Amino acid sequence: MTGFVLKKLAGALLVLLALSLAVYALFYLAPGDPARLACGERCTPQQVAQVRDQLGLNESVFAQYGHFLQGLVAGRDYSAGTGTLHCDAPCLGFSYQNDRPVTELLLDRLPATFSLALGALVLWLVIGVGTGLLSALRRGGLTERALTVLTLAGTGTPVFILGLLLLMLVCAYLQWLPFPTYVPFTEDPEQWAWNLLLPWVTLGFFESAKYARLTRSSALETLAEDHIRTFRAYGVGERAVVTRHALRGALPPVIALSAVDLGTMMGGAVLTESLFGIPGLGKTLIDGVRVVDLPVVTGVVLVTGVAVVLAGALADLLYAVADRRVALT
Amino acid sequence: MRPQSRISRRTAAVTVSLVLAGGLAACGPESGDAAKGAGKAGAAGAPQKGGTLTVLNNEPQSDFDPARLYTSGGGNVPSLVFRTLTTRNRENGAAGTQVVPDLATDTGRPNADATEWTYTLKDGLKYEDGTPITSADIKYGIERSFAAELSGGAPYLRDWLVGGDTYQGPYKAASDGKKGKGLASILVPDAKTIVFKLRKPEGEFPFVATQTQFAPVPKAKDTGVKYEEHPVSSGPYKVTANENDGERLVLERNPHWDPKTDAERKAYPDKVDVRSGLDAAVINQRLSTSSGADAAAVTTDTNLGPAELAQIGGNKELAARVGTGHFGYVNYLAFNPKVKPFDNPKVRQAISYAINRTSVINAAGGSALAEPATTFLPEQAAFGFTKYDHFPAGKTGDPAKAKALLKEAGHPDGLTVTLTHSTAQNRQTSPEVATAVQQALAAAGITVKLEGLENNAFNERRWDAKNTPGFFLSRWGADWPSGAPFLAPIFDGRQIVTDGSNYNHAQLDDPAVNKEIDEIAKLTDLAAAAKRWGALDSKIGEQALDVPLFHPVYKRLVGKDVKNIVISDWTGVLDISQVAVK
Amino acid sequence: MTTAPTAAAPAAGTTTPAAGTARQVLRRLRHRPSAVLAGAVLALLVLLAAAAPLVAHLTGQDPNAFHDDLVDSARGGVPLGPFGGASADHWLGVEPGTGRDLLTRLLYGARISLLVALGATAVQVAVGLAAGLAAGLGNRLADTFISRLTEVMLALPMLILAIALTAVVPAGFPRPLLLILVIGLLGWGGTARVVRAQTLTLRSLDFVAAARLAGNGPLRIARRELLPSLAAPVITYAAILLPANIVVEASLSFLGVGVKPPTPSWGQMLSTAQTWFRADPMYVLLPAGLLFTTVLAFTVLGEAVRTALDPRESSRLRVGRTRGGARSRKERTP
Repeated sequence: MTGFVLKKLAGALLVLLALSLAVYALFYLAPGDPARLACGERCTPQQVAQVRDQLGLNESVFAQYGHFLQGLVAGRDYSAGTGTLHCDAPCLGFSYQNDRPVTELLLDRLPATFSLALGALVLWLVIGVGTGLLSALRRGGLTERALTVLTLAGTGTPVFILGLLLLMLVCAYLQWLPFPTYVPFTEDPEQWAWNLLLPWVTLGFFESAKYARLTRSSALETLAEDHIRTFRAYGVGERAVVTRHALRGALPPVIALSAVDLGTMMGGAVLTESLFGIPGLGKTLIDGVRVVDLPVVTGVVLVTGVAVVLAGALADLLYAVADRRVALT
Repeated sequence: MRPQSRISRRTAAVTVSLVLAGGLAACGPESGDAAKGAGKAGAAGAPQKGGTLTVLNNEPQSDFDPARLYTSGGGNVPSLVFRTLTTRNRENGAAGTQVVPDLATDTGRPNADATEWTYTLKDGLKYEDGTPITSADIKYGIERSFAAELSGGAPYLRDWLVGGDTYQGPYKAASDGKKGKGLASILVPDAKTIVFKLRKPEGEFPFVATQTQFAPVPKAKDTGVKYEEHPVSSGPYKVTANENDGERLVLERNPHWDPKTDAERKAYPDKVDVRSGLDAAVINQRLSTSSGADAAAVTTDTNLGPAELAQIGGNKELAARVGTGHFGYVNYLAFNPKVKPFDNPKVRQAISYAINRTSVINAAGGSALAEPATTFLPEQAAFGFTKYDHFPAGKTGDPAKAKALLKEAGHPDGLTVTLTHSTAQNRQTSPEVATAVQQALAAAGITVKLEGLENNAFNERRWDAKNTPGFFLSRWGADWPSGAPFLAPIFDGRQIVTDGSNYNHAQLDDPAVNKEIDEIAKLTDLAAAAKRWGALDSKIGEQALDVPLFHPVYKRLVGKDVKNIVISDWTGVLDISQVAVK
Repeated sequence: MTTAPTAAAPAAGTTTPAAGTARQVLRRLRHRPSAVLAGAVLALLVLLAAAAPLVAHLTGQDPNAFHDDLVDSARGGVPLGPFGGASADHWLGVEPGTGRDLLTRLLYGARISLLVALGATAVQVAVGLAAGLAAGLGNRLADTFISRLTEVMLALPMLILAIALTAVVPAGFPRPLLLILVIGLLGWGGTARVVRAQTLTLRSLDFVAAARLAGNGPLRIARRELLPSLAAPVITYAAILLPANIVVEASLSFLGVGVKPPTPSWGQMLSTAQTWFRADPMYVLLPAGLLFTTVLAFTVLGEAVRTALDPRESSRLRVGRTRGGARSRKERTP
């Protein structure tokens, strides 16, 4: 077990390194001079040169990436004018745009992304697993047809269309809800929930389609297994069969996939966050991309990468625990 | 070029959000009586002190440091906290384009050739902690704006102050290894007097003294890049909370601000709560619904877009809450005459004749948000506006005349050109405006290929003197309401920058134009200067180095309890220091 | 899209599970009303997209021509008249601001959408197939390397990298081709995984082992023995990829990095339309509806193809529980 975990982690580390290097190099090549962007539009050439020097952009891309890695392990210092700012390891560097430590910036953004992901998770578990189970039990009926169409529509709808149509209907025409504005949970839990309702529904519905299909197929597999037939033959009630066995059979893959999706979502559901103006990691990433804020972009990608890898490892473990037929190799 | 500068680089980021930041996107009223229209907006009744004003904004005040802000006239929210030597006159319309004293007793006393400006501070000026404001603090505030760590401000002081081009701020050790070196060209003979020595005559120095770099910064309280978290207030409000890097600012009364020393700021509300990071659509929706705290809300950065305008349509209640204003701004087609075929004046003239300003204005948001422009200077007396239309294209273009000119230019079968534009959806340099130009020129036999670049790449291309495209969409805004910041960066041959951002797109280096610019700079009689700027604009216009397209108009909503809305022609948007919510 | 690779299988001259099923598959598809309907919708769409210039000619509308007289300039350029300015000349109305004809713009937009999605899917399948086969047949080192690379590809934030890539490439590069390459080269991870897993399973089967014992090289084995058997899972996976790619293209256009104007595209129309949903709802509903219908039809058809290819009706590919078996369960549509 330990060996398995260690091997996984070593592999994950390699993947993350390659990932961050790729992102760093790619954006380094992208047009847009970070020094000029950070300096402002009317900066004189001398000023731009000073800023470039201050941000360390005079060095080669390898040296810059080296500093980035160094900061991760050992922390970094940064000139604040009147003194120096220290950023403790793991330091993701300082934003070119506003001199804030990226770690601090990302921690600021995390609650919004987490809020969005959490609500969506609840929705896709309830809607997705519910519909999946239902359609597995009522095979061939009209219910199954309807559910299939619904789930297909869910997978097929780009998240920004669903969000846009919901905004149009719920906020503009019916005026049931105001246009969503993110309110932190700590400020007003009730407003937090109301304002996140639409993003949750959008993302949750979009994701639940996938879960419905997964649940359905796993449940069907379980129900087809011999011992279930035996239970039924012995007269075990249908309800017990469903709750004890079909659900139990369907859950491991659902939990595993949820872990992976949650990990991915930590990088922010870019489109959902952009559409609803949620100040999460995804929006930070897009904003960073536009102004070539390399430390921020690399930071978000790395954080996402770590979340994905951790979630993947967690999923493998959960899966192995839940389904002993899979050997840990 | 202020508002576009800091904002445009950030607006780029907003392109993905629900509504493109109407931020500074084109907007504009139909006639010149904006001031009248503006005065009507908002609730009736005499303004009273008290209450909380909410500000709903798109852009966070992430650089709330007077050294880093690039403002026209000191900014809106910043001006509540930072007082400067001079400031803008807080009045409606044209009266609002005047510069008036703020911390100083007058707008500045020049020497004979306007190379030396002297200011005296008023009595009884204090910071939020009760300590007196001295002229040395103003000198220090300016000096720190030269530090690389605090970049972002306007470039004028670097250019104008003696030694400004090489000074690197007080943080960096000078050549003798000593830190904290000051600028020798700023003298403080006593605690109340400050003298600026310029390397050339600048009759409009008082305008520059309105920018936040002229706000006092007590050296003992300077914390470098961290200063923005809690800058020391000299104005009617002090910062009591600054969350998430300026995403939320709470301003409360500064008990040491003495209204007797400040004729400009009314400061009616007890508290100002600035909430940023909101989508333009959300801001406008909340202002129009005006429920709860939003009834006492305004925005200082979000205009109404065309779709919102269409929707307000006939709603009288909402229409009464829309403030309309003009900011000195022009959107134009720029030529680089070094690129063929734009070296031929006839080709440039043909394009001027062919342009269909009706299509362009529709693409820019319609006639309520943009006014056709045939002059480079905005249509305001302060800029010296002199009407001219050297190549009359009428409302929808004159393709016949354009074709004739093309024939004379040796292109009887038409020609193919490339138009460079940005992919940012700002309704200014955006694909819609570019396609409107493309369609108009097609009628004159000119095939236009569009080259759309991501906004940063687009800006770098158009500001790169060595690699400027031949034909592209550009725009320019006023740092203060005068011809100087409008014409000099664009047409002064000595402002062609080859190793940095160049705004003289045509790379015009005409000795006569350069000389006239120098001559006008010597004038301290601003009305006389304005007249000559207007004449110069008309004269340069004859060369068809650009095709002015439109001047934007700003339309903004306010909450239903908001009173005393003042919109000057300096900023074109409501002045937050005048607003009352009771 | 469904028949081409399968039809090629018999030509390989071997009798494998996939061979000879093309007709069967088609027959099964015909018996599913939803598949027939989806196919009909798509056929109509493809036809209309292909005939876009003809439609433009018939209605007398140029998709890029401005009509200043059809919009109310004083009210932000909202189309004059009800239903977004629909008229005898402009059947679906006009675009706010410019007054351009919506019908022809939507049809030209369909061309881009379909072209990019098909092209990108082809690239994804080709690269994924090559990588998956190489990993499955190669030695341990190759397998480790490719599998790691695949993991990186799957973990990459695709939209973000696509934005960066479209910015890095010079503006002169043909945009639809660029989109095809960017989406294709970033999105092959899933296919590679499926192919690798399937290859590992097949490798242990008798007929492949026999071929190997007969002294055939890996290339020959891949071509003659594996490719035909891989057809079914790969087609199934491609059918999932295709609608996903339509969505990616629309998202990129929505974010402003799609095809260049004045070329119309659905995503770009939606991004300009999003402010208009109250003043001119038609402008939002038309591209949204079209995009929705297209993606839905492709998804339904893909689902049908999957069940037709795998009559056991399990929703996952039958990969068995070998190495990677557990993984394939977590396969996500990108």
